[in-house]
Amino acid sequence: MNVRDNAQQRMLRVDLSTGAIGVEDLPREWTGKYLGARGVTGRLLYDEVHRGTDPYGPENVLYIGTGPMDGLPVGMGRLSIATKSPRGCIGEGSVGGFLGPELRRAGYEYIAVRGCSDKPVYLFIEDDRVEIRDAGHLWGKTTYQTDDLLREQLPDPDTQFLYIGPAGENLVHSAMVFSGRDSTGGRAGGGEVMGAKKLKAITVRGHGGIKPHDYDAFIDAYKGFRRLLNLRTSRDMWTPVWSTYGAPVLSRLFPDLGNLMTNNAQMMSWDSEKAAAISSEHFMNDYVSRAQSCFNCPWPACKKNFRIDKGENAGFTGGNYWAGQPVALGSAIDNGDLDLMLILSGLCNQYGLDIFHVGFTLSWAMECFEKGILTTADTDGLELRFGMTDHQALIDLLDKIVRKEGFGELLALGCWEASKRIGKDSYKYCLTVKGQELEAIAERNLLMVGLGIAVSEVGPDHTRWYPPYPPNPSIISKEELHELGIDLDLKLAFDTRNPKQKGELLRWFTISRAVVEALPSCVFLVRDTLGLDLRPWWKLFEAATGIELDYQEFVKTGERLMNMDRLFNVREGFSRKDDHVPYRMANEDVPHFGYKKIDQVTLDGMLDEYYTANGWDPQSSVPTRPKLEELGLTDTIADLEANGIEVKG
Amino acid sequence: MKKLELRYVAAVYPITSKLNEQFETDAGTLRELIRELDDVYGGFTEMFLDSRTGKLTLNTMIYYGAKGSVPKGVLDADQPIADQATITFW
Repeated sequence: MNVRDNAQQRMLRVDLSTGAIGVEDLPREWTGKYLGARGVTGRLLYDEVHRGTDPYGPENVLYIGTGPMDGLPVGMGRLSIATKSPRGCIGEGSVGGFLGPELRRAGYEYIAVRGCSDKPVYLFIEDDRVEIRDAGHLWGKTTYQTDDLLREQLPDPDTQFLYIGPAGENLVHSAMVFSGRDSTGGRAGGGEVMGAKKLKAITVRGHGGIKPHDYDAFIDAYKGFRRLLNLRTSRDMWTPVWSTYGAPVLSRLFPDLGNLMTNNAQMMSWDSEKAAAISSEHFMNDYVSRAQSCFNCPWPACKKNFRIDKGENAGFTGGNYWAGQPVALGSAIDNGDLDLMLILSGLCNQYGLDIFHVGFTLSWAMECFEKGILTTADTDGLELRFGMTDHQALIDLLDKIVRKEGFGELLALGCWEASKRIGKDSYKYCLTVKGQELEAIAERNLLMVGLGIAVSEVGPDHTRWYPPYPPNPSIISKEELHELGIDLDLKLAFDTRNPKQKGELLRWFTISRAVVEALPSCVFLVRDTLGLDLRPWWKLFEAATGIELDYQEFVKTGERLMNMDRLFNVREGFSRKDDHVPYRMANEDVPHFGYKKIDQVTLDGMLDEYYTANGWDPQSSVPTRPKLEELGLTDTIADLEANGIEVKG
Repeated sequence: MKKLELRYVAAVYPITSKLNEQFETDAGTLRELIRELDDVYGGFTEMFLDSRTGKLTLNTMIYYGAKGSVPKGVLDADQPIADQATITFW
């Protein structure tokens, strides 16, 4: 059996315009320099997708990337999906499931797809056998239908699938990529770019093996890692909650704390009965049909499949109910009906839509309607109001969005582009950054989140610096932190409404999560001290690959990744002006809770601290020459300068 | 006698089988309240108080909201409790 060398990563190249297929080994030193997954895909994107590339054109490349830890018990099947986003920035996100390990067993860590097919195709991979196959029979099908049809053709249950739904085919804003029925990712552009390439799916089956370089050392390291995630003894309030009830529990807590975006974030609290109606507890009691984990996850099951058993919607099934749904498809549109929320969420998954796009674009449109900016003449006659009780009208609207029909054509653009079309100051009601809708987490009470969504290279994405709530400072001493190279005043950094130290804290969170995602592993496992002390991850990496890095050099890989993402964006023309919070968060205090708006002065202070700590020029946000030299990225300087970017220092 | 609004979230809910309740108590501190709740719903003390140190456990959280104020996470088990407070056990 062919066993992967975890220190040597290999890439499959496919050109859908020419039909060419090739394989190449990536430079061996990249595994120590960029780790894997988003580290490697970020470097490849910078090198191969040049400034001004049309995101929907044949020169854009879609990278699917695993990494040296995938297939081992800490990989969780994570995949990086990276491409140039239709929003112009880097479009990278991660998806779980089982495809990552299977891809490695087939002999590859990466797939790079260039070109555009002139007809729908899917990519078939079984070890060395790689074929571009006709997907005419899959085009137009929902994700569930696609899964069923592919399974009929490829009945081996170990064959793993990645695909898009009709939303991706139709280039609907923020369309998702699915790995298996309900593992989703790619909202930053992956689904749209697959659609533009007419690449409906990728199927993968491998027969090779994956094992750590040093088995005994790996098991020792794994035991230490696993102890920190023990449900009974983990020193982290989220561990038992996340692994059993999942993130929707926040729907009952957030209204009291002023953290729940309600009616398009005009309010930050919500009716407690509605919050209870869509709570995790209600969901677990009455709807969950099966809990599900990604590959080899040490947690019981953070994903939940559901089935509606009663009422007119009995028999409807779906999966992946997470923190986003209670906000985007709940409080944001004032929907306290769990049946409706699950149906909207399930249909989003079947169509391949992003729930945040749908929820926050609907909430934007509802606010515009209530302010008279949109009327029934724009909405195909629909009375589009918060808390609307015409459920079928909302369900029908999803179908229109996917098909880009009537009013759905406007909403399919996402609210930022839609606001440009209708004008009338409607941009003030967009909850977007870099053209991408927010997620579920509030900003004005959690200033690190405000800064995090502002500077995120891919648009709002909390996994770049997860978790928004730092761990209890008492679990690690100041001396230990200093020993780890983290010179933070934790008490100040963890004061959620004090802007001081938020830049420093965010910098650390971003670097350390980049490391975790590049191994790759799941940032939702960053619990207890695992987000501050990366030594357990470091030991696992060393035992898995045999690559010996100094601890600080291991941590620095995360900083390198974070800089590569920024370099891609600044070369595309992004700068400090693009690092902002939505208009509402910048201009309105939170009613009733006393949380102040994140005005420009507050944001500027945090940005200055963040850029300076990163070694970036505070005016332009471009990484400085000394920083790029320190990170071994000197080769990018000439390229930046050739593209008219000034690199200072 | 104090009247409290108690709320039970996630892993606490299977112990109580209810999402929230009005609770009357003479408890003066959170620690006393936890012990009283343990008499009603076995498991509260084990879940929220570290048997070695007597401090609040680190894998749970309690939010305490005095009447009319925004709840805050509690770090001290001996925090006093007042009439009409809302307390969320997480």
